[in-house]
Amino acid sequence: MPTLETTRAAAGAVARRPADADARPPARRYRWRGRLAEVAPLIVLVALCLCIGALSPAFFSVRNAIWGVGNQAAIPLILAMGATPIIVMGSIDLSVEGVLSVGAMIVVLLCTNDSNAHDLGWWGPLLAVTACTGLGLVNGLVHVGLRIPSFMATLGLWFVGLGIGTVALGGSAVRVLDPRIRAVAFERVLTFPMAVWIATAAFLLALLLERRTRFGRYIYAIGGGEDIALLSGVPVKRVRILAFTVAGFFTGLAAVVAAAQLGQANTTIADGRLFTTVTAVVVGGTALTGGSGGVVNSLIGVLIVAVLANGMVLLGISPYVHEAVQGLMIIAAVALSIRRGGSLVIK
Amino acid sequence: MTFDPMQARLNRRHVLGGAAGLMAAGLPSRLFAAGDKPTLVTSIRSLSNPYHAVWKVGADAFAKKVGLPNVTLVTEANSEKGIADIRAIIAKTGGNMVLNVDPNNTPDARPIVEACAQAKVYVVSWWNKPADLHPWDFNPYYIAHIEFDGVTNGGYITDELFKAMGGEGGFVALGGMISDSAAIDRRKGMMASLGKTPKIKLLDFQTADWQSQKAFDITSSWLTRFGDQIKGIWAANDDMGTGALEALRAQGLAGKVPIVGIDGIKAAVEAVKAGEFVCTVTSDPYWQGGIGLSMGLQASQGKFDPAKEPKLHREFNAKTVKITRENVDDYIKTEVQSHPDIDWSNLWDRVASPIAYS
Repeated sequence: MPTLETTRAAAGAVARRPADADARPPARRYRWRGRLAEVAPLIVLVALCLCIGALSPAFFSVRNAIWGVGNQAAIPLILAMGATPIIVMGSIDLSVEGVLSVGAMIVVLLCTNDSNAHDLGWWGPLLAVTACTGLGLVNGLVHVGLRIPSFMATLGLWFVGLGIGTVALGGSAVRVLDPRIRAVAFERVLTFPMAVWIATAAFLLALLLERRTRFGRYIYAIGGGEDIALLSGVPVKRVRILAFTVAGFFTGLAAVVAAAQLGQANTTIADGRLFTTVTAVVVGGTALTGGSGGVVNSLIGVLIVAVLANGMVLLGISPYVHEAVQGLMIIAAVALSIRRGGSLVIK
Repeated sequence: MTFDPMQARLNRRHVLGGAAGLMAAGLPSRLFAAGDKPTLVTSIRSLSNPYHAVWKVGADAFAKKVGLPNVTLVTEANSEKGIADIRAIIAKTGGNMVLNVDPNNTPDARPIVEACAQAKVYVVSWWNKPADLHPWDFNPYYIAHIEFDGVTNGGYITDELFKAMGGEGGFVALGGMISDSAAIDRRKGMMASLGKTPKIKLLDFQTADWQSQKAFDITSSWLTRFGDQIKGIWAANDDMGTGALEALRAQGLAGKVPIVGIDGIKAAVEAVKAGEFVCTVTSDPYWQGGIGLSMGLQASQGKFDPAKEPKLHREFNAKTVKITRENVDDYIKTEVQSHPDIDWSNLWDRVASPIAYS
């Protein structure tokens, strides 16, 4: 069985050298183009910052770094931390908006609010994260157990989530009246709001999962070639379920921050989140086909999207051309970072 | 005693009627509703937005008051579904119903009205209809079409904002979805007021697509761009206004920069009370949900003939309710903590102006 031995050895080689900066997937033949592709998102981010900064000096102010970019990037970053492993695996999670609205709903309905008499304080966020993790688990179980493509399984749960939110909130917005919950977003530690620190913690946790655990390496093995991973003894099903569960956890975390930041929740609280999340992950250089990229890429991707949105307002670009500019920037970023040599077919 | 055939027939009818009643009691209430009582039908976009959720509460309250069965259809922003559902309920009730409809899209109003007129169903429409479709073209069944004047409301909140700013300084404005007619009208009203006030400057206009979160992000960026040049924030709806308010709060500015919005959602009303919002305006969806059904019911009971009403009663902009510091306490007492006791028989007391088609 020479073939099997080789692939197992290859998988093992990658798994054994997780944090090694020189660890290059063996398939990379286009050296300098590969290198360029790797740093392209960073170049885009730096160029973007320089351009906007040159045109609007306010961009480089401390206030803008905190509130204009940092605070705005917090929720997208937390969401991207959940979405990245799934996209690296070659799957997709479309349920972000549904799960997030369920989480936000639980937070507001259980803390002191203007709709019912509950006053459970920290139990709200805790239960919200638990419930969202549970929904992530359901995603994974449906996807793996019933062998439904992740696209359809999570699309279904998206609307299940919105449905639960609609029934529970009855269409109205419920406001948070508990100052402890609001503090999750606004309490300042070392001049940065708590939301930024939570996002940083989420990033470090995701980095740890990706670089220092077997789970993290299996994700790449599955994304690179699921059949080979399976033959190599990777517990594909378990890893898949776990990845969706982890995504649910991060979405729950984002839900808590979102509810705290806006001080209210309604069914539409998550509108547009899916698009920003997937955009950020892809712009960061993680391919939708799976097997490459990672959470560091996603961090850069999220920053690109946040800086772009912030820059549009700072430069006073007319809202009528906003979306077109945003779309062009996304195409440019992806065009720079995509590895064309690697695949024969572009779908 | 002589035999009276008339009496016998009546008796037999009573017996039959009683039997039918007994049978009907065992049937699902749905079938029973298709009897003599007209069904009150409401068709709206969805139940997941506060506006239409309150609309349904108003419809339910009216139905309860008159003791009639009441059905709410939702289009989920799908025109075909909206029209098909209305056709289905007309068929199911055999035309024994009245309809209060907020058409999903402008062209939808025509097929809906045509289906109603054909089945002799009285109908009232809101917000959306083609300019060349008029209630008097379908006498007497198309009772009325009602809107709220976005230009006037947009202008009103602008004037209130300028007053709160002391008549000078710069302000920023958050618009709704670019192509939305309500967003366009409200902005038009704002620009008109701005033109009359030379000392006030519009620093920037951005669209936040009616969303709180987007408004939060844009306002955060504005604060770094303009800093304390911002003396006021104009929002085309309350959801965006509250998003802007939270962005101010994050930087310790809540209450220091006046905000105005439209819709009268709870969070905005509370903010008016707290002095963080200057004012908001509501079309009163609770009233909309009940009054449209009341018009239909009264017309179907022959209490008035829509064909004999003046054109201003058939196609009009309705009055809005303005919520400012002065009346906010009363408003919270009667509209937020409980629901107002509206006189549903007073059909025309909120007629404001004819609808102008440009």
